[in-house]
Amino acid sequence: MAPRTKLRVIGRSEVLPKPVLEAAARDLDFDIEFELIDSVKGLQRVVTRPDTFDVYHQWHTVDLVWTARAIQAIDLRRIHNGAQIKGKALARQGDVRAIGSVFDQLFRQPSGLLGATPSDEVVMLPLLHGVDAFGYLPSALKEWPEGTPNSWGWLLDPRLQGRVAIMSDPVLGMIEAALAVEAAEGVSFADVGNLSIEEIDLVVDILLHKKKIGHFKTIWGNYQDAARSMQRGAVLQSMFSPAIAVLRRQGIPVICAVPQEGYRGWHVDLCISSAAQGEQLDAAYAYLNWWMNGKGGAIVARQGYYFVLPDLVRPHLSAAEWDYWYAGKPAETTLTDPTGAAAIAPGEVREGGSYFERMSRVRVWNAFMDEHSYLVRRWREFLEG
Amino acid sequence: MKKSESGAAKPYYQIVREVLASNVAQGNLPAGTRLLTSAVADRLGVSRPPVKRALELLAQDGVVTALSSQGYVVGQGALAQAPGRTNLHRLTLDLPEELGSSLGQASWERIFEAVEADVMNCIPFGTFQISEASIGDYFDVSRTVVRDVLSRMDARGLIAKDRSSHWIAGPFGARMLDEAHEVRRLIEPSALAAAMAYLDQKAALAARASLNAALTQAGAMSQASVDRIEADLHIECLRPLRNKRLAQAVRLSQISLVINRLFGTYIGVHDETDMLREHALVLDHMLLGDSEGALVAMRHHLDADHARARARLKVLSVFDAPEISPYLTRVH
Repeated sequence: MAPRTKLRVIGRSEVLPKPVLEAAARDLDFDIEFELIDSVKGLQRVVTRPDTFDVYHQWHTVDLVWTARAIQAIDLRRIHNGAQIKGKALARQGDVRAIGSVFDQLFRQPSGLLGATPSDEVVMLPLLHGVDAFGYLPSALKEWPEGTPNSWGWLLDPRLQGRVAIMSDPVLGMIEAALAVEAAEGVSFADVGNLSIEEIDLVVDILLHKKKIGHFKTIWGNYQDAARSMQRGAVLQSMFSPAIAVLRRQGIPVICAVPQEGYRGWHVDLCISSAAQGEQLDAAYAYLNWWMNGKGGAIVARQGYYFVLPDLVRPHLSAAEWDYWYAGKPAETTLTDPTGAAAIAPGEVREGGSYFERMSRVRVWNAFMDEHSYLVRRWREFLEG
Repeated sequence: MKKSESGAAKPYYQIVREVLASNVAQGNLPAGTRLLTSAVADRLGVSRPPVKRALELLAQDGVVTALSSQGYVVGQGALAQAPGRTNLHRLTLDLPEELGSSLGQASWERIFEAVEADVMNCIPFGTFQISEASIGDYFDVSRTVVRDVLSRMDARGLIAKDRSSHWIAGPFGARMLDEAHEVRRLIEPSALAAAMAYLDQKAALAARASLNAALTQAGAMSQASVDRIEADLHIECLRPLRNKRLAQAVRLSQISLVINRLFGTYIGVHDETDMLREHALVLDHMLLGDSEGALVAMRHHLDADHARARARLKVLSVFDAPEISPYLTRVH
């Protein structure tokens, strides 16, 4: 008997919580090896060694991975509900407008470049998206008059000196810091998602000064660190939504900000290795199609992520779950996180409102900036400063 | 310490030592020939100190013998007994062409290109500090020569001093690539048009033929063949240019060639059809003697290539430099 096919999947720990891994393993008739890599090492592996993986859960790197031809185009006709993805791109209205970034660089054009004109070939299968902002404890609010709108500027506000935390990731951290500098310093950047050298200098110089005067309590690496940071005294900080779930499970009343300047948007999608062929390629398509049944999307909905075709997720969520996570209504019953632990108390309402309201408020999408090397150089200076 | 290929610039005295030793072995410098430092330096067209050191070493090797009076004589013992005064210019010596040309260069010139290449191969990956002392050790040259090289690189905008007076190179980002491209698209097409007056028709036909071969060949090209095709158009076709100042400026603006080569070497050579077709277009205009057409086609090629290099640079920026010369230290 031929050995069983083994599908090799690379992704971040936030996107692939244990219940998702278990559900996929249960439903698919081949073995799956998940490698959870949270650092830039995952991207480096993918770009240089397409032969070592079959499927990659990409985030804000699809242009790089495609330039390196580490991935192959995905035939939408082989994807369940693939026509709906194409249809969404064609319609370009409603919620699709809100997640425009997902569709801007999606389709393979006849020139081999990526573009927005729909075709049957996509370079990634759009999967999950969402918005991030900072989180805070109710005690932090005492510093401002009641009713003051949430602002990214709070991350740099002297009133919270020594009680603020930000993330160490240079790509996302710089975007959030730039949003904070805009709000706190009254400047305006042409494109927060693609800063110039001078703008990077401005932001980092302010961060360095703040660090030296002891403004930041911690600088965290992944969502678990983020949760620990708040347990240890940070009252306002950068956040990934799984950390919110962790903190609430522990009874810490953390609030997700709804910044008046808008959210930082993100999306995570599926890519197939350029080296996958034959049985590996079939298995890769089967894995993609497993996601398109909506089960995985329902599991991660419970940590706040949205699925590209929400109607596919709905049958796998209870009415109360759908109403809270997608419709922005108060929780009717106690709701659980992906692990099954109670996380949302009855009556709670999700900050920022419904799916459409939240996605419409994206100010900037995660992106590798053109001046990434320079950004990293200055960011390391900040981390080491 | 392993020297990189680009660091192949040998110490000056070693080159002289090898040249003299091989000429002795071949009989071009017969036993008994008297070798005065100044005469040898004059014959080889180099300065005296390396000749002096080379002769000392050759004496240790037993190839020449020191004379009590002055200078050295080829051979040992009896053979070296009767040194004759020979006009070295009358002897036919075997001076390899590439050694000859490097011998004619000033000290800084011999290592400038090596240091420049080493630096360019690193800075797309980050920021590096350059150690003057280590460059001196690595290439076996004096501090004066090292400073000369570094200040020339500084003048060309390749490196700079930081606040604590360390030499810093990089990071090489999108802005630097954009700036180099803006200059390049202004000057390289005109330089090509100017060089067309002296076009080597045979070489151009051969370059065009190798493009055809690459376009019809199935599967990915090797980086070496990509390098050859790039050199055919961007170096060889410009070689006859009379205006050396222009030629130098073009060379300095051709930074995307480095980015493309690094990408091909470390990430992989992918479909290069577009690049090949653009080159073919330029060469076709040249072969027809249409300098206006060649100029326009070249500008189109440079713009398209810039877009490719920009995307590739972004990929390189997520990596650490794969090979770093010992005199460079990563700082960020």
